[in-house]
Amino acid sequence: MVTQSAKPVPPIWCPGCGDFSVLAAVKRAAADLKIPIHDLVLVGGIGCSGSIHNFIEVNGIHALHGRLLAQAVGVKLSNPQLTVVAAGGDGDGYAIGMGHFIHAFKKNASILYIVMNNETYGLTKGQASPTSQLGFEGNVEPPFHSILTALSIPAPNFIARTFSGDPKGMTAILTEAIRFNREGRGFAFVEDLSPCVTYNDTYKLWREKVLDVTKLPNYDPSNRKVMFQICLEAIEEGRIPIGVLHRPKEVAQDGLELKLVKGPNGPARTDISVEPNLPAYQKLLAGLA
Amino acid sequence: MTTPAARTMPMPGEAGPGASAQPLELADLSVMIGGQGGDGTLTVSDLLGRYFRKRGLYVYTSRNVLSRIRGGHADASVRGSRDAVAAVKEHVDVLVAFDKEAIELGRTELEGHGFILYDSTTFQIDLPNAAGFPFATLVGGPLGAPIFKNTAAYGALSVLLGFDPTMTRAVIEERFKRRGGDALEKNLKALEIGRKAALETPGVPNRFSVLDGDAHDLILTTGNQAVALGFVMGGGRFFAGYPITPATEVMEYLQRYLPAFNGVVRQAEDELAAVNMIIGASYAGARVMTSTSGPGLGLMTEGIGHAGAAEIPIVVADCARVGPSTGQPTRHEQSDLSHLANLGHGEFPRFILAPATPEDAFGMTAQALNLAERWRLPVILLLDQALCQNTTTSKRFDSTQIHVDRGNRLTPEMVEKMTQYKVYEFSENGVSPFAPPGTPGIWSEVTGNEHDEWGHVSVNIPNRNRMMAKRMEKMVKARDELPNCRVFGPAQAKIGLIGFGSTSGPIDEVQRLLAGRGVPTRYLQARTLYPVPVHEIDPFLKSVDVAYIIEHNYTGQFARLVRETMPWHHAKLRSILKYDGHTFRAPEIIAKISEAK
Repeated sequence: MVTQSAKPVPPIWCPGCGDFSVLAAVKRAAADLKIPIHDLVLVGGIGCSGSIHNFIEVNGIHALHGRLLAQAVGVKLSNPQLTVVAAGGDGDGYAIGMGHFIHAFKKNASILYIVMNNETYGLTKGQASPTSQLGFEGNVEPPFHSILTALSIPAPNFIARTFSGDPKGMTAILTEAIRFNREGRGFAFVEDLSPCVTYNDTYKLWREKVLDVTKLPNYDPSNRKVMFQICLEAIEEGRIPIGVLHRPKEVAQDGLELKLVKGPNGPARTDISVEPNLPAYQKLLAGLA
Repeated sequence: MTTPAARTMPMPGEAGPGASAQPLELADLSVMIGGQGGDGTLTVSDLLGRYFRKRGLYVYTSRNVLSRIRGGHADASVRGSRDAVAAVKEHVDVLVAFDKEAIELGRTELEGHGFILYDSTTFQIDLPNAAGFPFATLVGGPLGAPIFKNTAAYGALSVLLGFDPTMTRAVIEERFKRRGGDALEKNLKALEIGRKAALETPGVPNRFSVLDGDAHDLILTTGNQAVALGFVMGGGRFFAGYPITPATEVMEYLQRYLPAFNGVVRQAEDELAAVNMIIGASYAGARVMTSTSGPGLGLMTEGIGHAGAAEIPIVVADCARVGPSTGQPTRHEQSDLSHLANLGHGEFPRFILAPATPEDAFGMTAQALNLAERWRLPVILLLDQALCQNTTTSKRFDSTQIHVDRGNRLTPEMVEKMTQYKVYEFSENGVSPFAPPGTPGIWSEVTGNEHDEWGHVSVNIPNRNRMMAKRMEKMVKARDELPNCRVFGPAQAKIGLIGFGSTSGPIDEVQRLLAGRGVPTRYLQARTLYPVPVHEIDPFLKSVDVAYIIEHNYTGQFARLVRETMPWHHAKLRSILKYDGHTFRAPEIIAKISEAK
């Protein structure tokens, strides 16, 4: 018998929103990797992009603003067999969630974090965000470049940037990122350039400025120094680097969950009933003076 | 076992030149050890506690340290008693001082017969009933470092108090045998140096003697350790926290205990992350907890609200300290209750439970885990600094009394027989069935936004009204499952005492002291603070003429909850309050009761 669970609802996004490409790419990647719906958890943030889990058949948490990474890491450490994708916007990730963002690279739990960057707070009607250009809505602060920060943290993460104007490239990268996670290799971060057609329609501008770094002659995603230089120079020249920006050369099972969870069952699946644990409990109590 | 009589006499060979004629026998003894942070006062306190336990005494130790690693005045007090005490004694019998400040601060606390043992390396005092020994110099030469002065002081103290030398030595062996290197050897030498110096000093040997007690097979523990053990045995398997005094030891104990049970402990980047990590872990199917104190609780408020709205079971242990803001990190208070009762924006159900002793904390932590999952909401364990960190003798924790009840949790077999799975399904008691991710064939959509039964965001008016009622009515419907109040004292007593948390120790002593004077009292120990157990407190208040609500805060926070929910008892309620960072001592409460009359 098929048990009916929550059905997707129609997206709340404006027609043409860059987030549609991400939704399609996540669906495609999950299908290509044959991940059963019940083993996939999508953790959404707050903002237009953070509602993505409502539009797909999936286990979903609508997390607090900026806290989706903490919840996603909690899910993964509780049950490492789940595939966990966190998805939110640039305000969510780089303003209110910045502390968790940086620590996610250090923690290196095998989850994917997708930031849909539209350089504005869309849902609250177009205020400047941490990635807004100088002058946007009176913004006087230079934009934050997440990829440079990501590359500066010496952890064996997967780091990439995609563009909603290139759904095919995005699907390939998200698929690779999720596969990276499922191999227990650690944290994957993908920033998607996702234009807000209502408050910051940048499709045309970004199409002109994106630079596929994978086509450069000195491209070497295992060399942090080279990639940092490529990205920094591109940004200084007014270009927007996209593609896989970091991929450790060695295939190592570095995921946090593999370091903390012993044996096949994580905290969520281990038997917690008293009886089988009683001898060990009594031993622990007997040790108290 | 040696007989008590044998120990009240000087031990053979001990009656040196300084032997006292007649030792003063003490059945309830308090020793205060003071000095600069880093002087090793806590070690002396620990050694004394161990010795008293060997003599079958009940032990209560408290510490008074500053929030710094080294330096600053620090003191600890150890009480050994034949009665089951769990409070600081009114006066100090012996003061052990490593500096002048300890003498200045400790002197005022001394009994009439009180005696001061001090380290005279850098100063001398001219006081009766005091003996100075240059402990730092005495150990510095033969042992190469002055740090062993604390063990030497313990040695001198053992002579002053007429301790059994074999047991005194066994305590050192117990404490230092696992240290490795020459720690044990050097501490044993320091002990003998201290003993020898004291034996040669007139007026010191066997000045006091400690009577034996019959409290055996007890453990010496703290509330924080009890919470950690209750969490493990209650099936808790995921803990995230952030270091904060006085809660940190919960995390530290769990880092030791939990990995052996397939559990995970994670130190997060802040309290925001800690509470959100446990929310994620709980959603994924684990039993979870975090622990924190005032400032961290402020940060966690956001996440606790999310758990309330999204109906995700979590347990938060609040190890309360002095507030507001960063307050006094190492000091005692019970001033988080009002915040907890009203915690978060908007309205959502929560249970606030307050254990009174470590033994209570052990069982109640396991119970909190059951309640959180049975009712799918946040449960807060409210402890206070004294309960968290002071060591006290306790009955051995009994893991066979624990049971695990995960409420309406679906198994794959149950799911197979269902036609639909709604994560927020309306039900008789307001609790919806839940299946964690990974359960074949179904998925769960949860959100802190208002939602319909499927977990979809909803602004539908009838749905909003039903969802609010579904959640809020849990506080009424769960009533009979929440920890009961405990009532002590004769039913005919007309003076009522009400308290929660570690005030149980001093209040218990108040009852004994007053009963001895022919004044019966009745004490209600509240163990569920919110929702206020009106069905238990109301009949109690009806049975007394006056009730003193005893708590550590300025505004009488529990008294306010009692007045708000039972306004008809307003006239008989009195508050006894203390908020200076220190715990009540029984005579202080008695004085306030006498004043009020």
